[in-house]
Order: sequence, then C-alpha cells, then structure tokens
Amino acid sequence: MSDRDDLHHDAHNPHTHDESPVDHGELRDAAGHSIKDQSRSLPIPPTDDIITDGGRTLWGDAWYRLRKNKLAIAGLIWVIFVILVTLSADLWVKPYFGDPLAMDTTLGANLQPPSAEHIMGTDKLGRDVFARVVYGARISLTVGVIAVAISVAIGLIMGALSGYFGGFMDTLIMRGADVFLAFPYVLFAIALIAVLGPSYRNVFIAIGILGWPSIARVFRSSILSVKENEYIDAAKAMGAGHMRMIFRHIMPNAVAPIIVYGTMSIGGAIITEAALSFLGMGVQPPTPSWGLMLSDARPLMVRAPWLMLWPGFAILTTVLAFVLMGDGLRDALDVKMKD
Amino acid sequence: MSTLLEVRNLKTHFHTRDGVVKAVDGVNFNLEPGKTLAVVGESGSGKSVTALSIMRLIPKTTGVIGTDSDILFKGESVLGMDDAGVRSIRGNRIAMIFQDPMTSLNPVYRVGRQIGESLILHKGLKKKEADERAVELLDMVGIPHAGERAKDYPHQFSGGMRQRAMIAMALACDPDILIADEPTTALDVTIQAQILELMIELQERTGTAIIMITHDLGVVADMANEVMVMYAGKQIEYGTAEDVFYRPLHPYTWGLLESLPRHDVSEKGILLPITGQPPSLINVPSGCAFHPRCPYAKDVCHTQVPQLTSIEDGHSSACLFSGDPGFRRETASPSREVV
Repeated sequence: MSDRDDLHHDAHNPHTHDESPVDHGELRDAAGHSIKDQSRSLPIPPTDDIITDGGRTLWGDAWYRLRKNKLAIAGLIWVIFVILVTLSADLWVKPYFGDPLAMDTTLGANLQPPSAEHIMGTDKLGRDVFARVVYGARISLTVGVIAVAISVAIGLIMGALSGYFGGFMDTLIMRGADVFLAFPYVLFAIALIAVLGPSYRNVFIAIGILGWPSIARVFRSSILSVKENEYIDAAKAMGAGHMRMIFRHIMPNAVAPIIVYGTMSIGGAIITEAALSFLGMGVQPPTPSWGLMLSDARPLMVRAPWLMLWPGFAILTTVLAFVLMGDGLRDALDVKMKD
Repeated sequence: MSTLLEVRNLKTHFHTRDGVVKAVDGVNFNLEPGKTLAVVGESGSGKSVTALSIMRLIPKTTGVIGTDSDILFKGESVLGMDDAGVRSIRGNRIAMIFQDPMTSLNPVYRVGRQIGESLILHKGLKKKEADERAVELLDMVGIPHAGERAKDYPHQFSGGMRQRAMIAMALACDPDILIADEPTTALDVTIQAQILELMIELQERTGTAIIMITHDLGVVADMANEVMVMYAGKQIEYGTAEDVFYRPLHPYTWGLLESLPRHDVSEKGILLPITGQPPSLINVPSGCAFHPRCPYAKDVCHTQVPQLTSIEDGHSSACLFSGDPGFRRETASPSREVV
C-alpha cells in the first residue's frame, strides 16, 4: 500500500493501537504497527494488519480520479450548464428573448444579424435564434438520453444473456446483433422512420433500437471477463441461482464500460438526431431542433451565416462535452489505472 | 457414525479439441462427520476437479461425469439432483474455500454483506439479521474490530484477512462439509500457519468435516485424519495420516515425502525431487502412470495397470509391488510443528 494509505490508516483509526493491550513495549515497524512473534502466539492472534484507505468505494475512487481530469470536468460542467439552461428556459428565455415559435412577419424583422434585441439574430421567419437554440437543446438532450436509455436497456439484457449463458443463446443474440450492424446506420434509421412515420418520438425509438447491438457486444465481452473471476465461482459454490449470479455478482462488476460507452453514445445520438432532422426525417417544423435549424440555414449560408453558426456550435460543444465526459469516465473507472 | 459423503468411482472427463482429458479417473472415498480428509498431489493430478465435481461446478459444456460414477451426500445422490437441489446444498450443507483470497471476494460488496449473503439465501434471514450474524462470524475467525471491518470493502483487507473472511463465509450456514481448495497456497508462511490453526480450531468447535486439497504435505500432516494421494487423476495411496506419513507404500508418496524440506534433518540431508513431469492427462502412460518417473519401475510396470488394493487394514496402494513386505520405506513425519 502506498504512503497515502498509511496516512489514512492513522487518520481514520486513531484508536486501533491504543486499545490493544498487548501493544506496549513491543516491536513496531515504521508505520507504527506492532510486530508480533507469530510462531509463539499460536493459536491465532487476531490479525492486526489493518489496511484502509478511508472507506473509499469503487465509485468513490472513480470520482477521485475523475476530478483530476480537467477535460472531463469541463465536459461535465458544460453538460450540467446546458441542462440547467434548458430546464429553466421557460422562466427567462420566453419573457426576455422571445418565443421560439413566435414568427414576426413585419417587413425587415426576419434574417436580422445579431443585435441587442436578438443576440443571435433572427431566422427567415423572424423567430429569435437564441430562443430556438435553447429550446433545441431540449429536443437534442431528450432524444440523446432516451435513445441511449432504450439502447442500454435492450443491450444490457441481450449482452447479459449472451455472455452469461453462452452457447446457443450467445450465437443467436450475437448473430442478430451482426445483422443489425451490417446495415448502414443512418440508412437503417431512415428506413425505420419511413415505416414508423417521421416524428419526435419515432426518432428516439429508431436511434434507440439501432444502438443496442454495440451496447450488447461491449457488455458481453465485459461479462465474459468478469465471469473468469474466482469470486464468481465462489458465489456459485455458495448456492446462488442464475438471477442472483447475473444481477448481484456479475452485472455490478461488468457495468463500468457501459457507463462509459453510454455517455459517449449520447453524443452520437444527438448527432444522429441532428442528421435525421436535417434530412427531414426527424423532428418536424416548427419544433426547434438543431438539425432542423441547420437544414433551414443551408440555403441562406451566404446571406445569414449566423443562422448555421449557432446550432452548429451548440451541436459541436454538447457532443464534445459528452465524449470528453465518457473518456474521463473510462479512465476513472479503469481499476488498472488505480493510483 | 453414518457416512457423510461417499464418492463412488468418480470419473470426470473433459472433451477438448486435443482429446479427452481424464482429469479424474475412478476415485473412491468416504468422509465421516467431523473428520478431515486430505487430498494430496501435484498440479494437474485431479484434486481440484474432484472437489468441483462434488460441488457440481464442472462446466456442462466440456466436462462429463461418468454414468457409473456417483456422489452420495447423506445417502442422496448429488449427481442425480436438479439445479434447485444442488443449490440448496451448495454453500449450505457443503461449502467451499478457494485458493486465492485476493480474487475470491466480490470487490463491489462490503465484506459483511457478502458473508451474510448465504444466510439470506439459505436460512431466510433478513438483511439486518444477516449483517449482525456476519459480524459474529468475522469475530469468530479472528478479525479485530469485526463490527467496523464488516463495513469495509474487500480491497481494504489483507490477504490473510480475506482468507479469514472466506472461511467465515463458508461456515456461515454451519455446513456439514467444508472443501478447502489449497486455502493457504496464496498466503505467506506465518499467515498459512494461522489459517490452518483457525481451521482446526473451528472444526473442533463446529464438527464440520473438511476435505483439504493441497500439494503441501506439511499442511496436511497436522490436521488430516485420512490422506488420499492422487496421481494423473487416480488414487494411488489411501490411508490414515499416520499410515501415509510413517509407512508410505507407494514410490510416488516416498518421492513426495523426500522432496519436502524438514527442520529435523541434519544439514547434510538433501532434498530429493521427483524427476520428470506430471504426465499429460490426454496420453496417460501405459501401465502404471507413474512408471516413467519411478526409480523402481520394472518391465511389468509398463504394461500392467496397478489397481488400488488394500495392503494393511484401511491402508491401500496402487503399486504392483506394494504387497511385497520388503518394498518399504520408513520416513519421519513431515509435520511443521515447531517444538
């Protein structure tokens, strides 16, 4: 154990040695532990080799390492900022910056460059771009989170069944995943939406369904490696059934890569939503969506470049924030990097 | 006293790409309540597979237990049980301790919670009751400040403490049989002695029968009632600890005893290793499996398979020459007890 652990030891167990009556006059090692003559003290002195690092858990440890990763923290702060802005938008955006859906048809009110009144300018229908970017974040974040939640829910179950039971079940599920992955991603999404009909809800259903094979694969491989541990044999030898084995003993140890992958996938889902909306297969006008705003701005790129700048910037920073966060989580949750 | 565990003609074979691995090939033994049986042999002699077969932990995909084999626990066939029946015995009536305490505790759960798990599972205890009982058990195996340490995570325990925790876990349901698969191999010598003392003391208190699997004869000398020596998946000698250590019959056992360092032998005594390597379990040598390494091998050993035959009362050997009273060795006890 490192020096730090020894320091923690003293800080958290100040009475450990003082309470022990046999301590006085005995040899002590550098850290102050008593050195006992093992061969004479049989039968079995209670072990006194207390090592502790202050009760940090796996997650406590991960948070400690995540905190030191500046980029990941920047990503986290940006994500929290976007969420807070989005949640509070009704309170301050609508009254002071305008309704994202309110058109202004007076002459000259549309395609205004950024000004004090419209800090990001107005679009071709005279709507406030700032309000639309803020409300667009709602769509993007919701789609991102719900789509990934659907992928993770399906992927975890499939991956767990596949990795834990193996054999025929494994073959069936993994070949099914291969079939999904064999189709070009966006094309498959468009095909699905063409069947379901383009709408906000169908976008995250489509993205969610398409995401499960990757999650299942990652989870399966994670489970396969966790399964090799002796504590899994020990749990089996204790009499645990399949459900207890999967949910209590394997999943908690195998889920870290999914947290990382899921976080990064949120960024990917946001991009896919933007792409689908850009192509007209996603969120339908007049709902503000970053992808839709880009699509609207494309023909006006020269006349009103700010129209594509702001939603583009919003997509870039938000996706980047999720990826940085996921990257930081991967390092933080990797026990091999334990300091 | 009725027999607790009867193993009849146990054959556990693994079907691999290279051929059939006869990991255990016709093993018979009885275990009486409260007694200790030591299973001794080199790596790959089938010791662990015997234990895993009793626990029904042999992977179904590759491992096959012979149809004429049987394992009777209190007269009931373990091999004939359904999954639920096996689970009700695992951890409850027959418990197991694994070799490496560093990896046999689940890293995401507090130690106390893990010890209590089998009580919740088998005895229907509430979480709180199980936690309280776990503290008592930790105290019983000599963990100081058990109440606080029960709340620790496994990585906060040292190797010796983890093995104590594993023993506490195994003894939680007061099992009839404790199978210890090399429980001290991964520990340093002073801790080894403590763990063995602990097991002996707990056996006296609880009356649990122990199957002690080890390659270290010094470990078993102090605690075994009966000793079974295994070689290439077969029993080659079986008898009381006294018989096997003081009047060994099989040349392989002689080799094992002579290769053991002892404190009571004068400095000119040299260690005599057994030459050669354990045989491949796919192509077991013809005749006596030990003949390529046996210094006493004669022509007949190449062709004739020796059967385990009773030589003296309760002492049997699988060597063609064991019946010859002139074919004997006297050895001193390999006990590691320090006077």
